[in-house]
Amino acid sequence: MSIRIIKKGIADSLQDHGRYGYQHLGIQPNGCMDYLSAWLGNAILQNEIYHPVIELHFPSAQIQFTSKHTICITGANFVPVLNEKSIALHTPIQVNEMDTLSMLQPIEGRTCYIAFKGNFENPLWLNSHSYHGNRFEKDDVILITDESPLFNSSAQINPMLIDKVHDFLFNHQDPIRILPGPAWQDLTADAIQKLLNTPFTISAQANRMGFQLSGATLSLTTPNNYLSSAVTRGTIQLLPNGEMIVLMADHQTIGGYANLAQIILVDLPRFAQLKTAHLFKFSLTKPATAQNLYQEMYAQFKH
Amino acid sequence: MRTSINKWTIYSLGDHAIVFALAPAIDPHILQQITALHQYIEDKKIKGVLDLIPSYNSLTLVFDICTFLENINQTNEDLTHFGEALIISFEKGKKEVQQLTNEIIKVPVCYDPIFALDLFALSREKHLSKEAIIEIHCASIYQVYSIGFLPGFTYMGTVDPQIQMPRHPKPRNIVPAGSVGIAGPQTGIYPAESPGGWQIMGRTPWVVFDARPTRLSKFKVGNRIQFYPITKQEFDNMNEYN
Repeated sequence: MSIRIIKKGIADSLQDHGRYGYQHLGIQPNGCMDYLSAWLGNAILQNEIYHPVIELHFPSAQIQFTSKHTICITGANFVPVLNEKSIALHTPIQVNEMDTLSMLQPIEGRTCYIAFKGNFENPLWLNSHSYHGNRFEKDDVILITDESPLFNSSAQINPMLIDKVHDFLFNHQDPIRILPGPAWQDLTADAIQKLLNTPFTISAQANRMGFQLSGATLSLTTPNNYLSSAVTRGTIQLLPNGEMIVLMADHQTIGGYANLAQIILVDLPRFAQLKTAHLFKFSLTKPATAQNLYQEMYAQFKH
Repeated sequence: MRTSINKWTIYSLGDHAIVFALAPAIDPHILQQITALHQYIEDKKIKGVLDLIPSYNSLTLVFDICTFLENINQTNEDLTHFGEALIISFEKGKKEVQQLTNEIIKVPVCYDPIFALDLFALSREKHLSKEAIIEIHCASIYQVYSIGFLPGFTYMGTVDPQIQMPRHPKPRNIVPAGSVGIAGPQTGIYPAESPGGWQIMGRTPWVVFDARPTRLSKFKVGNRIQFYPITKQEFDNMNEYN
């Protein structure tokens, strides 16, 4: 039982919660860009929330199912069609042998997920299914064994959670919350003012490694040479030309640019779903607040 | 969170990492403290710690928010105490963990012109013969200060000022795997074919990053390395890429 890529997309891959424990050897963590949508799809299918999912960007891969499967699509709305018939997001969908899934149009969000009932059988690398830098190519086959366990109605996800997660992800009015990083203190007063009060957009230079921002350019009080140190997903670096880049799931493990701030973990999925046109602002928060928000979100997925 | 204890600065990096840092300097003594702390924390096997990443003067501890905070039974305000307590207990037991790395790993490099893409230009720029440059590059013992950019890419120092050269303003599209380069005070080995801007001095026949889980990176932060020159014939005999 498997699926086959019959047309490749721009950057589609298999992802899970990431590959940790090897960053000291320069091995990137990878993982889902919008992990919340992956959790949601898995929760709807009553999977463990860190279960691997297919991550699609637009234009997306076209996928053919070589056997019966139960899937659930979450995250960005790319107008999914199964054999040219529209299908719903956030709903378990039965697909049959030779069915073809395509994405027509990116009407909301940047990254779409397909969760599957069943186990992915492709070999793990360092305890993770996440692709590392590579992507689906035409004729790639992903093996999934679907034992089709019956749905347990008592373990069904609270439907309110679907709306709640969707509203959280796609409410682009609320600022993206950040915590100051080690080089925050080196920003000029004017740069801090611009960073917190002027809107930014994600530029066309945006991929799984990082999103470069468009908007005000920032400067440091003194040109500074930083010794390279570890960065995380959500690290906001200042490039020498005054523009900012936000490091995403495929980020390098260390960085030598000014480390200005970190987007808090709970807001990273919201940030990952922003399209190029959306204006957004940053706002400061506190580490304890950020951690509580993440813990609360996680708790909603655990029964 | 930002606090200081003895020579250490401890600060939060976002909501899911803590950094332990010493004075910002490229210094083998500082690096030794970092690698000793790395070992110390690793041995404690703290639940919820996802990664420990050493680099020059810092060690970054990346954690899973839910598991780690539940395990140390602390809120973020108390991460300060967690960090301080860790440093205090580390410093107490430190005397035994001195002198970690006396071993020097000897790495073969072929400086033949077919590999040494930038050696000729460097020789002209520095008014030194190629032989003299090779001798200087092989004379120093380099310390691995950091690994990043690519899996297994080592940032090593310090290159003798006589042969230091900044990276190319425009990176090459393809630098072959095994290429040994210099960039300012640093030298390093490309573990895989990739784009790159370092001045390429030669190539090692060693595979320095192997994706097999029991192998992975040949070098670790804190290792000491010395290059030695080999001929093209020796390179072919030793070539692990075949």
